[in-house]
Amino acid sequence: MRLARLIGWPYARKHVLRTCLTVAGIALGVAVFVAMHAANRAVLGGFERTVDRIAGAAQLQVTAGGFGFPEEVLERVQAVPEVRVAVPVIEAVVDTGLAGQGSLLILGVDMTGDRSLRQYDLESGEEAIIDDPLVFLAQPDSLIVTREFAERNRLEVGHRIPLMTMEGPKQFVVRGIMRPGGFGKAFGGNLAVMDIYAAQKMLGRGRRFDRIDVAVREGVPVERCQAALRAALGPGFEVEPPEARGAHFESMLRGYTFTVNISSLFALFIGMFIIYNSFQIAVTERRVEIGILRALGATQGQIRGLFLVESALLGATGAGLGVILGGAMAQLSAAYIGGLLEDVYGVAQHVEGAELGAPLIASSAALGVLASVLAAWIPSRAAARVDPVQALQKGKYQVLSVGENRARRRAAAASLAAALICLAAGRSAEAFYAGYLLAVLTAILLAPTLSLWLSKLLRPLLRWLRPVEGTLAADSLIHAPRRTSATVAALMLSLAMVIGFAGMAGAIYDSVTQWMDQVLNPDLFVNASGSISRRNFTFPASLAHEIERMEGVDQVQAVRHARVIFGGVPVSVVAADVEKLASKVRRIVIQGDLDEMYRLTAQGRGVIVSDNFADLRGVRLGDTIALPSPSGLVRLPVVGITRDYTDQQGSVLVDRSVYRRWWQEDSADVLRIYLKPGYSPERVRQRILEQFAARQRLFVLDNAEVRREILRLTDQWFGMTYNQIAVAVLVAVLGIVNTLTVSITDRRRELGVLQSVGGLRQQVRHTVWMEAVGIGLIGLVLGLALGAVNLYYTVEMVHRVAGLRIDYQYPWGVAALLVPGMLLVALASALWPAEKAVRGRLVEALEYE
Amino acid sequence: MNRLCAWLLLAASVGAAQEARSIVEEAQRRTRTQSQRYEGTLEVIGSKGKIAVKRWRYERLGSHGSSKAVLRFTAPPEVKGVALLVHNHPDRASDQWMWTPALQRDRRIALQDRSTRFFGTDFSFEDLEERDVDQFDYRLAGEETVDGALSWKIEAEPKKTRASQYTRSLIWIRKDNYAWVQMEGYRGGRLIRRVRYLDLELVQGIWTARRLEVTDFTRNSRTVLRVDKLEYNVKLSPEEFTLQALRRES
Repeated sequence: MRLARLIGWPYARKHVLRTCLTVAGIALGVAVFVAMHAANRAVLGGFERTVDRIAGAAQLQVTAGGFGFPEEVLERVQAVPEVRVAVPVIEAVVDTGLAGQGSLLILGVDMTGDRSLRQYDLESGEEAIIDDPLVFLAQPDSLIVTREFAERNRLEVGHRIPLMTMEGPKQFVVRGIMRPGGFGKAFGGNLAVMDIYAAQKMLGRGRRFDRIDVAVREGVPVERCQAALRAALGPGFEVEPPEARGAHFESMLRGYTFTVNISSLFALFIGMFIIYNSFQIAVTERRVEIGILRALGATQGQIRGLFLVESALLGATGAGLGVILGGAMAQLSAAYIGGLLEDVYGVAQHVEGAELGAPLIASSAALGVLASVLAAWIPSRAAARVDPVQALQKGKYQVLSVGENRARRRAAAASLAAALICLAAGRSAEAFYAGYLLAVLTAILLAPTLSLWLSKLLRPLLRWLRPVEGTLAADSLIHAPRRTSATVAALMLSLAMVIGFAGMAGAIYDSVTQWMDQVLNPDLFVNASGSISRRNFTFPASLAHEIERMEGVDQVQAVRHARVIFGGVPVSVVAADVEKLASKVRRIVIQGDLDEMYRLTAQGRGVIVSDNFADLRGVRLGDTIALPSPSGLVRLPVVGITRDYTDQQGSVLVDRSVYRRWWQEDSADVLRIYLKPGYSPERVRQRILEQFAARQRLFVLDNAEVRREILRLTDQWFGMTYNQIAVAVLVAVLGIVNTLTVSITDRRRELGVLQSVGGLRQQVRHTVWMEAVGIGLIGLVLGLALGAVNLYYTVEMVHRVAGLRIDYQYPWGVAALLVPGMLLVALASALWPAEKAVRGRLVEALEYE
Repeated sequence: MNRLCAWLLLAASVGAAQEARSIVEEAQRRTRTQSQRYEGTLEVIGSKGKIAVKRWRYERLGSHGSSKAVLRFTAPPEVKGVALLVHNHPDRASDQWMWTPALQRDRRIALQDRSTRFFGTDFSFEDLEERDVDQFDYRLAGEETVDGALSWKIEAEPKKTRASQYTRSLIWIRKDNYAWVQMEGYRGGRLIRRVRYLDLELVQGIWTARRLEVTDFTRNSRTVLRVDKLEYNVKLSPEEFTLQALRRES
């Protein structure tokens, strides 16, 4: 520690910029890690808090997926002796129609019994409402809102709020205002309570409930009550504690969380290379210093310790800054991720701002320090092994020794062999991920050797471009591979990440477009909800018949989507008239015969599952699956597997006859409308709106609008990863600036001599620029090559994690854009170091060393 | 000797229980009618003295333990038309449904909710049910003067088959005419609610309280029910006590 203070600190002060760049590298890596984790946690935490607050004193919740269940189930639950209180609930997120207020969580409850479970702590309201639920129940336009919501919208008791109901826009009256805190804080305060039967009418739910909240009789263990309810209701119902909803939500986000984790670790990994690079440079620059220390009796351990302490201090500083930066980024990201998840999954939640929390701060700080120490381990070991005599001699210390290169190459060969073995044996997840890591490790180990070879290959080209400057730049790269290889490796990794991601995104876009071409071919879509992913509102099936009778309409397909729990995970059940569907849609078949699967499904003798459902749930063609429904388990064979992007967790297509029989319902949330030839979608849309909009909540979208919306959601999905990649590239660019700054310092004498013998400033500039372009070019070649490997693993990961089969398509277009892009970035990062080289004092430069 | 004393005590307590039960039975017998109709005015006097008034029309067919009743709110305007249908059973708790005219919907009120207040009054849903003599065990707890009349004091405990919010209740029945004059409901030794039967009048040969006063000791509030236009044994049809009738008449 004393050595660090006496020797390390003056060095850091002397090289402020490099120290800052090094710290920035680790800070950015940690910041991305912190931001993603804090934002993710905020989203999950927001959802869980909302669930918890809304659950009140409920110990168990009875659900049957997103379809809900008939009212009669309530009596069956209430008849279970272990149940103390069972109250029905309807929950839905609706748009308020109030400027800037977004969504409002409507909680439909039965006030005659609900107060046994939830405390409606009313601070103001008509006296009658507070004391007398009769008035509240007798007037179905009654709403109780939170103080927070009321204040934001300047609402008082008696004021009206417009809400879109299934019967068109209706005015609701605020008849009570809840005190802040507790229940009133659920969904960020954007909460309104209404009578459950009014909510049924408003949301078009018929005589169905979403769930039943249960309090267990005193003295009865919750597990016993849970078992009794399961026995009474059968396997079609879920009986779980409220917190299980959080677990289901989390399982839905598995794919997203995984992607975020991988890219934030990548960013941190790239940051490690910057640290490694800086310390490698520091060791070479301070050889004389190390030699003197060793000559004065410093032990190898002390030298190693000096560098490790320095790296730990830099790591801690970087981590500290990273945590602060990450905290700020998390605030921005949390709202974005919240919106994204609501749009993509249609799950209502409210993010209340990201809090880092002590465990995340501690783990991020530890990660930053650990990454820094790990990255500095090899340079510090090299520093400890410096021979004092050789160290005090001037020489080409940047050259990698033959032995060092050989050892690296041998390690790379072993790593490659192990990666190939893992690939061959890669059915298991462990072998697959180990193979991925080993492949990346191979590339990292080979980076110095490949950099050297490529530098030698570049020399004639650079020389041809600029005989003097090109030769000097190439020689600088050739003679100092230690200086450049880590930057090249960082650049290589970030570009590999870009290629992997771009290839995956491109393939997914292509796949989604192909799916849309095949499946989303109706001329118009009539939605009950404003968003294509929300299923809060439903139509009666009779609306489909009414629209079908309209002039110009050829066919209307009523479709109902809802999630049910299958294997502990929410998956989508899509109920459609399969015979009609078969006449218009040729689905992309993965397994099975399309006509046969349509025929069997239409007859209610099978289901068609999506490819991601089959892969994620381990289901094969011919297997019988059991879907939970209020009437029991629906056991049907899988008669076909097709490509379908309806739900990231998978979807199951059933015929509406099956849906009516088992789910005891005949509603729809989407109507797919095909027009007769010659009829304009716009005119038919207008007629539908004129005829139905006044009495029925509906949104009519044409084909192009639905496609745009799906692509927008896909863009939104990738948006956060784009940002992470941008940070990774930025970290790599910092590495180039760092390397060039060191290069200028190293070559001060050389550049000074060049100027003293008549070299022009412009020539010095060109030398630095060409060196930077050289680093960029080498990084590009290696990055694009490693990107091909990374893309293979990414495609495979998408299959394993999300169950999506996407084609391997190398993103040539992106690669072509990256070449000039990265060269320009490399050039830009050389501008300042070049000016520094040009403006250095000549005498000082000649005195250097 | 000790055994003899024990037998004597047991015999005395059984005798007291039988006497208590027979008093309640006699009180019930004297009020048994084919049907009943009245117009009630409810005054809920809150802890701060604020008074809320509601009116209803009440009709009952049958008596004690196997009756059906409809209670229809007539005022204030915001609750007008809301109705409650009660089917009492001798062997189990009653079934109750509520009709909301604005929604054109009926809803079932579950057994678990009967301890909650009856729409802002100090009655609970359970207090509106008719007590069947067989659903309780009785014990004569002495004699006391209530409102100037000497009364039996009887303790009633719900049988295990009967779900009740009260762990026990005390009933005062006048000795001269077997009319109920007071009832107190307790939960775990704590007095929850007291019902006083006031302004006793002989209506069609039945001693009837024209004013009921309920005090909720947990909220410190009071509700007064005044009974007007009271008639017994009016002609009512069973079809009027169904959900269909409830829907039809709103």
